Amino acid sequence: MGWDFLKSSFVFVLIVLGFILLLLAPRIMTVHNLGGYYTPKTEMSYKENIQAFIHDFQTDGFGENRYGTRVLDELKVFIKRDLMIVIPSFLLSILGGIFLGIVQFQFRESPFGKIQAFFSWIFSSVPDFFFYIAMQYALIKLFYVGLPQFNLYGSDKWYSFILPMIAVTLYPMLHMSKYTFTSLENEVGQDYLRTAYAKGLRTLGVLKHLIWNCLSSLLNQTQFVMLYILTSLFIIEKLSNYFGAGYHLYGTMINNEDPRTLAFILPYLLIMFATIILTKICRRWLVPQRSGEAR
Amino acid sequence: MKILVFIKKNPLFSLGTVMFFLLVFIALFGKYLPGIDTRLDEIIFLRDENNIPFAPPFGPNERFPIGTDRLGRDLLSLIVLGARETLIVIIAIALIRYLLAIPLGFFAHKNRFGVNILLNWINGFLSYIPTIIIVILLATLHPIVLSKIRPLYLILIIAALEVGRVAEMIKLELNQLSTKEFITGGNAVGISNFRLLKKYYMPFLYGKLLVNFVGDIGKVMFLLGQLGFLGIFISHSFMQTDAGVSGFENTSLSWPTLLTDAFRDLRGAIWIPFYASLAMTYVIFTFNILSQGIQKLLK
Repeated sequence: MGWDFLKSSFVFVLIVLGFILLLLAPRIMTVHNLGGYYTPKTEMSYKENIQAFIHDFQTDGFGENRYGTRVLDELKVFIKRDLMIVIPSFLLSILGGIFLGIVQFQFRESPFGKIQAFFSWIFSSVPDFFFYIAMQYALIKLFYVGLPQFNLYGSDKWYSFILPMIAVTLYPMLHMSKYTFTSLENEVGQDYLRTAYAKGLRTLGVLKHLIWNCLSSLLNQTQFVMLYILTSLFIIEKLSNYFGAGYHLYGTMINNEDPRTLAFILPYLLIMFATIILTKICRRWLVPQRSGEAR
Repeated sequence: MKILVFIKKNPLFSLGTVMFFLLVFIALFGKYLPGIDTRLDEIIFLRDENNIPFAPPFGPNERFPIGTDRLGRDLLSLIVLGARETLIVIIAIALIRYLLAIPLGFFAHKNRFGVNILLNWINGFLSYIPTIIIVILLATLHPIVLSKIRPLYLILIIAALEVGRVAEMIKLELNQLSTKEFITGGNAVGISNFRLLKKYYMPFLYGKLLVNFVGDIGKVMFLLGQLGFLGIFISHSFMQTDAGVSGFENTSLSWPTLLTDAFRDLRGAIWIPFYASLAMTYVIFTFNILSQGIQKLLK
């Protein structure tokens, strides 16, 4: 376990370094007048850029934004808002997804299950941005008809995080449900199930067996789910004017505020890292060790 | 009669094919359809019932079934005319990705040229950092921004970034196939690697590759849509707009460009991003259905 942790940390550090190198590639352009021609040129070479970044970082840390607030201070506010979406969304995706998968598996022969499979398939083909825009369009139309109005944009109300969260959660949850369904279906016909039925276990008892055995492959999906949530958050926050770190990230990248970009992306990377480590811990404590089963 | 039986047996494939051909039809012949304004006239103002002029964007009405954009151009015409470019770009990206991935996957399977390590790193990196962020960072690089063939570079970047995922999938398939006896037979006869790939491995891979390829076209559309919201398009050029001032000028009709002002439009002209992303959703849907349909058909 300790060795595993060290290895993951090492990979994490390498990925952060790789990202910084990518970030520092020369981007800032100025326009020079060369005999009537205006030619854009980069201001600094790659090497100068890296040296300047290291120098700045040593003297001023992540620095200030253009309004004079310390980047780390503004980041604290943003991260809190981000986590308001990310954590519920992650839990909902994993737990809700597994639950939906189980329901779909249980009723797979009946019309109810078929309808559920159909809808989950349809909705998993809808891109999150369209889903979000459609939701807003529908709500705006409903406000005209008489739905009590509430704020669709921004991040200053207590309920502001709900709409973006729904949009962010939709796809990962359905992915999880599909994945759960497939892995449960793969277990059908295994000997241990027949034994369990033969011993007179009810459906719920058998399901518990099944899930326990699928847990390992289900846990493999946590990283993907989290990555998807973060990718989607980046767009949805822009669409909903939800002022989290993701909202500001794009602006910092376009304006070449390198230390600020790094400060805003680091929490994302840390969340990914935490997900990976937590998954490893869960796997160690929860997943049953299979003995001598060749699969 | 036979056709009906086929449709009944393969509903997804049939539906996907119909949707796909509708898309191709619009891309090829959309401009000849009635009601499509090929000149994309910019309507400067309309008058309301009290004869008071008001400026675009106009919402959906009798004259413009799904409204106009901010310049007063008919949105339906814009979407229909942009279909061809959008389709060409997404299919090109997916195609390049698979053409790159097949040799990479084969080398990774054979463990040559360190391809395996490369794939591991690419995939590891992209399982930490959202692809879209890497695309933004690469697309704003100075040599690419100023290049005359910028669209080509961007297509290559987007294609290459996810090549690792596809190559990994191909590698796993090849690993599985290589335990089969006919491969051992081929090896025993002593044929070259290229021939081994072409004649021994590939015939078993075509089906799976096709399914994934078609599915990937939808994914590319999704990514381009996301990039469109952020104002990064495949084709726009860096132009000198005024003395000493340069900026991006939009020179294409492809769908993601309609999302440029999406953040502003959402608060007013929400129909612009809505119908533009609806068109993209249709594309994603079509290719997802088609990919599932082909999978079922091949079973």
